Amino acid sequence: MAKRVLLGAAAVLLAIAAAYAAFFVAPEERTMGVLQRIFYFHVSCAWAGLTAFSVGFLGNLLYVWKRGEKYDWLGVSCAEVGVVFTTVVLISGPIWAKPAWGIYWTWDARLTSTFILWLLYISYLLLRTLIEEPDRRALLSALFGIFAFIDVPIVFGAIRWWRTQHPAPVIMGGPNSGLAPGMRGTFFFAVFAMHILMWFLIVERYSLEKMRNDVELLRQEAEAT
Amino acid sequence: MGLLSNAAALLGKEVRTEFRSRELLSTTIVFVLIVVVLFSFTFDPTTNESHRFGPGLLWLAFLFAASLMLQPCFLREQANDTLSALRLAVSDPFAIFLAKIAANTLFLFMTELLMLPVFAAFFNVSFRGQLPGILLTFFLGSLGISVAGTALAAISAQARMRELLLPLLLLPLLAPILVASTEVTVSLMAPEPFMQWKGIGFLAVFDVVFLTALWLFGEYLLEE
Amino acid sequence: MKNLDSVFWAYMLGWAIFFGFYLSIAKRSNDLRAEVERLKKSALGNSRGK
Repeated sequence: MAKRVLLGAAAVLLAIAAAYAAFFVAPEERTMGVLQRIFYFHVSCAWAGLTAFSVGFLGNLLYVWKRGEKYDWLGVSCAEVGVVFTTVVLISGPIWAKPAWGIYWTWDARLTSTFILWLLYISYLLLRTLIEEPDRRALLSALFGIFAFIDVPIVFGAIRWWRTQHPAPVIMGGPNSGLAPGMRGTFFFAVFAMHILMWFLIVERYSLEKMRNDVELLRQEAEAT
Repeated sequence: MGLLSNAAALLGKEVRTEFRSRELLSTTIVFVLIVVVLFSFTFDPTTNESHRFGPGLLWLAFLFAASLMLQPCFLREQANDTLSALRLAVSDPFAIFLAKIAANTLFLFMTELLMLPVFAAFFNVSFRGQLPGILLTFFLGSLGISVAGTALAAISAQARMRELLLPLLLLPLLAPILVASTEVTVSLMAPEPFMQWKGIGFLAVFDVVFLTALWLFGEYLLEE
Repeated sequence: MKNLDSVFWAYMLGWAIFFGFYLSIAKRSNDLRAEVERLKKSALGNSRGK
């Protein structure tokens, strides 16, 4: 319990520090000015979301292999946290795009693929609500999670190819726009901070799932007596 | 080989069952027709612009039709618990999937072939000389839709709200198929037609990846 | 400074979403803890009754 509080405190402190660095340590970008500072938040959330989904994928694989319920708890926790981070990405993107391009959505390759990613994992979470029996739910959602995750690189690749056929405004610079050296430190610190936050949220969600399971067992015991 | 001969036998069963009543094929074809006609009301299908939008709408119609057509795939096995019988009959559960995927690919492919002249007439496009390319695209696209769709049909058959769940799970997953198939088809219907091999590549990659995934994990989809 | 409010909104909305998610977990956890207390009390009640 103390470890969780410590992790939470670390996550909050690091997030504040990362925001400070994004505004006061990183140099101002030449063309976009202060607007570019959204980049540190937007991209670090995107990376953390993908990490969450990747860990969830491992949880799904482990569940199918070993059938331990803790892998199911890990899977759903990672999926939910991943969806949360992806939601932030999908909201911060358009907030950047409107002042930069005058429009909220440009069907930019990365944002569009992120939207599909978001839909896939929302479907994962919806699927879980539609299966009552816990073991069946764990197995079927783990299998769908596996299918969804292996689709992700194909989605990103196909949509990026599609966009090269029909060029359009790109959100936050094209794939080849590098980071100025002064920005790199801030950026990777932001990535680190977001990952600690991700880790904290996954731990909290996992504990909730474990508690739910314990309560269910207690409930069954109470009904039996 | 046990796997292939089992799959072939099961495929025969699937095809015979369907051709006895032809209900799946006929309803699917009519559905695609309806969707294409309705889409045409949303813009003028005869101008050159429709060459850009037409193929995308056609593939969307195929995707919607498939997500409906794939519902009975495992649901019809639930009625008399024929799935248990199938599982006992074959040594490798992947044979069941192979058979269903082959059957679904065949039905989808037939639907698409039947729709092709209709589409050409409605949208005033010609495929002269591009037929091999179109057939390849239709085949690889149908295969991808069937592989993912059959796997997800096995999942949704065991959940509630399965009629809505299958499209919900399937359509985002099939985004690469939609994107790649549409791009290739658009290029084949352009005034100066050409073959987009990169798009074909994406379709092939999708098909291989998901077939492999189903081979690895299919038996768990059919677990009791 | 031009566009500062956009940057501000992006960070604020993002943080609101993270905070909201954490709050929803905390609330669900508290509800479960209350449920455990209720179950424990009724279990004690049952065993005393026997």
